Amino acid sequence: MANRDLPGLERGEKRAMISYEELVPGYEFPPASYELSSSLISKYLKAVEGSGDEFVPPLAIAAYAMTAVSGSLSLPPGTIHASQELEFFKLVPVGAVVNCQAKVARKLARAKVHMLVLELDVFDQNKEGVQAGKATIVLPVQGANA
Amino acid sequence: MLSEICEGKTLPQVVKHITQEKINLYAEASGDFNPIHVDESFAAQTPLGGTIAHGMLILAYASEMMTLAFGQSWLSGGKLSARFKAPTRPGDIVTVSGKIDSIEHKNGISYANCSLECCNQKDETIIVGGAVVKLLGGKS
Repeated sequence: MANRDLPGLERGEKRAMISYEELVPGYEFPPASYELSSSLISKYLKAVEGSGDEFVPPLAIAAYAMTAVSGSLSLPPGTIHASQELEFFKLVPVGAVVNCQAKVARKLARAKVHMLVLELDVFDQNKEGVQAGKATIVLPVQGANA
Repeated sequence: MLSEICEGKTLPQVVKHITQEKINLYAEASGDFNPIHVDESFAAQTPLGGTIAHGMLILAYASEMMTLAFGQSWLSGGKLSARFKAPTRPGDIVTVSGKIDSIEHKNGISYANCSLECCNQKDETIIVGGAVVKLLGGKS
């Protein structure tokens, strides 16, 4: 069943969280389903100064997939995005319900920097892939001078 | 959309003025309230020295350029690879540009290989990347 409120969209929402320290390559995040409702997409389009009302912008799907993952991942403030790969497979109509699956592809821990590579796959209700992506994020290391 | 898809063709530029208000709006829309984006006092204490825009916001502008150029071909058969080279800050003017580097034909399908770049008003590169578009109907 789709979550009416996209995971992580509500500030202060309580959910089971996993920390960077607990993550290992291959770890799979709990799958998350969400509805790409017209109100959600309108809000997104306003934020990115975009247009269109029939199909969901693929970057909106990617952004919400990241949010769905971050809803169960406890990252330190100051975490930033280093790189992003995305592949779009099909048009997604506004109002569709999609399912997001994510896993840890790589984890790098160096003295001054911690990095995570996350792989994300998004499917529609027919279990057909609509999007795949890989995000590399850099986490601040306490006590290190960047 | 592009009237002609050929090697060397430049893609329609997208220019955006970044403000803290727009960053906050994107945080609200995406659910990403990382304080590096929305908390000016927190961000001032980090090595970045202030708030920065979400990388996915700037990538959305890159995707806008690709949609302007290729329409539904991009939405249903696009592939994007991007590296964030520098932060985008409130007050920055971001210009997204790109061009078709080559057209490939594989198994009866045409693909446009594009390079793209996002720069700020100081001509600093914010994002560098590439995109591949599966061209529908042999054109777009």
